[in-house]
Amino acid sequence: MSAHSHVDGQLPHEPEKATLEGRNKVLAFWLFLGGETVLFGTLFSVYLALRGQVLEGNPSANELFDLPLVAAATFILLTSSLTSVFAIQAMHRNNVKSMINWLIVTVALGLGFLVLEVYEFIHYLHMGHGFTTSAFSSSFYTLVGFHGAHVILGVVWISLLIGQVYKKGLNTVTAPKIYVAGLYWHFVDVVWVFIFTVVYLMGKVG
Amino acid sequence: MAHGHTVKRYTGIMDWITTVDHKKIGILYLIAGGFFFLIGGLEAILIRIQLWQPMNDFLSADMYNQVLTMHGTTMIFLAAMPILFALMNAIVPLQIGARDVAFPFLNSLGFWTFLFGGLLLNISWFAGGAPNAGWTSYVPLASPVYSDTHGVDFYVIGLQISGIGTLIGGINFLVTIINMRAPGMSFMRMPMFTWSIFVTSALILFAFPALTVGLAALMFDRLFSANFFNPEMGGNAVLWEHIFWIFGHPEVYILILPAFGIISEVIATFSRKRLFGYSSMVFATVLIGFLGFMVWAHHMFTTGLGPVANALFSIATMLIAVPTGIKIFNWIFTMWGGSITFNSANLYAIGFVPTFVMGGVTGVMLAAAPADYQYHDTYFVVAHFHYVIVGGLVLGIFAGLHYWWPKMFGKMLNETLGKITFWTFYIGFHLTFFVQHFLGLMGMPRRIYQYLDGLGFNQMNLISTIGALLMGIGSILFVVNIIVTSRSKEKLGADPWGDGRTLEWTIPSPPPEYNFLQTPLVRGFDALWKEKMDGNKTVTPAEPVGPIHMPSPSILPFFMSVGLFIGGFGFMYHQYIIGGVGLLITFTCMILRSLYDDHGYHIEVEELEKGVKA
Amino acid sequence: MAGNHSNTAAEGKGKRHRVEGPQKHIVAYIFSILLTVLAFATVAAGEINSTFTYILLVVMAALQVFVQMSFWMHMKDRGHLLPIIGIFFGVFVVFTCVVMAEFWVWW
Repeated sequence: MSAHSHVDGQLPHEPEKATLEGRNKVLAFWLFLGGETVLFGTLFSVYLALRGQVLEGNPSANELFDLPLVAAATFILLTSSLTSVFAIQAMHRNNVKSMINWLIVTVALGLGFLVLEVYEFIHYLHMGHGFTTSAFSSSFYTLVGFHGAHVILGVVWISLLIGQVYKKGLNTVTAPKIYVAGLYWHFVDVVWVFIFTVVYLMGKVG
Repeated sequence: MAHGHTVKRYTGIMDWITTVDHKKIGILYLIAGGFFFLIGGLEAILIRIQLWQPMNDFLSADMYNQVLTMHGTTMIFLAAMPILFALMNAIVPLQIGARDVAFPFLNSLGFWTFLFGGLLLNISWFAGGAPNAGWTSYVPLASPVYSDTHGVDFYVIGLQISGIGTLIGGINFLVTIINMRAPGMSFMRMPMFTWSIFVTSALILFAFPALTVGLAALMFDRLFSANFFNPEMGGNAVLWEHIFWIFGHPEVYILILPAFGIISEVIATFSRKRLFGYSSMVFATVLIGFLGFMVWAHHMFTTGLGPVANALFSIATMLIAVPTGIKIFNWIFTMWGGSITFNSANLYAIGFVPTFVMGGVTGVMLAAAPADYQYHDTYFVVAHFHYVIVGGLVLGIFAGLHYWWPKMFGKMLNETLGKITFWTFYIGFHLTFFVQHFLGLMGMPRRIYQYLDGLGFNQMNLISTIGALLMGIGSILFVVNIIVTSRSKEKLGADPWGDGRTLEWTIPSPPPEYNFLQTPLVRGFDALWKEKMDGNKTVTPAEPVGPIHMPSPSILPFFMSVGLFIGGFGFMYHQYIIGGVGLLITFTCMILRSLYDDHGYHIEVEELEKGVKA
Repeated sequence: MAGNHSNTAAEGKGKRHRVEGPQKHIVAYIFSILLTVLAFATVAAGEINSTFTYILLVVMAALQVFVQMSFWMHMKDRGHLLPIIGIFFGVFVVFTCVVMAEFWVWW
């Protein structure tokens, strides 16, 4: 019951589920992701409803999107999802050093993704595709921007967790936090899969 | 390990600001929700005074719009939901035999974000005008073009902040009910109130994110000139209606399901009978929750979605009458053959049943899409939703408050006053809203601030206003009852009704901060009643007496909410530095929370034994 | 504290546990990359019926997400019934939203 029974001894396998507090946290986070699914689903449906609403003289989705850039961003984010899996696996092996290294790789890849996204947005602004240009542009920036904000939050969050684990070590209090951040990162990746499919690829098709 | 920690324990006002105890948070929700209920009630009285005679000019047209909008918004988001949160905080952990909720810190955060969101919304009165586009805030009326005060900005930001609190509460109670039940308390042994809160929390989890997106989009339109709902720039006004009701329809089930739960508990207790058809009740609750996500467009029949959509949503809506009917029959069969006590709690519960049936019947009438073209936007709709929300939810809340008051405060509400309150409120309610059905059928549109003489609306509007005043008197009498009760010196035992069926009646009233000295062992549905029938005085403990771990109090939730409040203000007036500072406060508090582990403290056995004697 | 039925399975599993290697995660990764490349290639090639392309793209995205959630988020493992229910109900609500956006906003 107590959160502290394992601090001195060997960490149990799956330390994130060793305490009731940890199990509560993991379950609550899964439920939160269920809510996030609805959040992004609503954003997607807003985008789907408004994606054809390009005003005369403004660039359409087909003219805007640059597939190689999106492909690069996709590759980076997918890889970061894999490295966060490796971090959790390292945590399950109780290998703190390896875990921290994989988390640093994950954060670095997340930053790389953000750099590409910022570059992309600036590029669009130069093409005359601003937030207030049309209903299409508003819904595009809101959907992709909400995802980008999630990536920023994830990068900051995981960075802070790295510092925390570096100081406190891995225990039944820190392990659930790392595990939950990993789930979050996968979820952000999953949302991106639908963004590149629905926004970019479908935008290129029609 | 944690035994060594000394945790600062506050007293007085600091105790209330820093508390993470679900029972105290429940009381805070009750005070705040009650306060907003009185404000919303005052607004209702103003509306009815304006409408008591034709061409009245007590309120100006714009003031009427503000009062009307704030009445709806306040009652739904700041009165009804918080009072339900009050009851679920105070009772659900006790009903499942838990010492606390899963996340005491988040529980406190949920309350403070709700409160500061609600305060932000109400500050609009003093900052150039309250929101005035109706509680549904339909565009283009709510767009910057047609609503050029800051009113709707307060609506979007205030609701966004208080929505965070609601979402947190929903997740917290889902996890609490899933993970924190006492040994033996299987899902199908959970009391009906807990079940209804479980389903309600799930609805909150899946419905509120849609509102978040809708409010964010409207905020972007208003503050940052986005074009979601602006047809000139390719936006679409119908989209807002869809998003609002995708959230809004589950929201009304979020409101009514807990009332169903309360009524199930009260009627079973005061009929001295097991709830009839428990498993069908559970099934009906889950089914209503599920169907609640597939009926939103019945609010939009006249929008012109076409015959296919209207037919689909019409049928889906009528389907909901089936599980609701199951519940009505179950309550009647629970009372059938029982030895019924007609105290105030049960009067509210029994009064609920026919009133809610009336609201349900008009609901099915409205669900018939062709007929809805006649009813839409008339007082018939106003009568319908007040029958389900006041006649359903508010009567349920009053029943629950009378029933659980002794558990929450250790004192019984005055019965005589309670009965007078009930009759005043109940008669007032039917006077107010029954005639509105006919006003609607005669063609009186809703949301108008004046009507002409000679249309035949005069008498019924007068009757309606008199009824509203009676409801106002009833509400004041309830406050008087609270004051009278709080002055009494009586001390109640664990089971003051004598017929308690569930676990909350096995512990002292009010419960100690750790709720259960020993976690109970649950041997069946209605755990306490089962033990009583087996000849035992109380439930068997599942563990020996030992030190109890408690979470430490924290001021951080308060400051996080203050930060959001300041941030919301800053963004509304385009003062981005102030907005940034507000968000910075919130994020700093979050980081502090993450960095400093909350080890809590233990209440040792000696201290526990002292507590039991007192 | 007992009563957490969903997680008792996870505890019992610990005893039989072997430290899982990275292989299947790498396989999932390669699978995801392949699907992504295929999706981009389909669009880059162009000149295919657009309705068919839409369906193909969504199916490939769903497949990829299914694999990632099963393996990387461990949804295939025991003790994940509630997460599955939660996510699926979210997906259900999203489905209604998408139907709304496609059919009932413009007509």
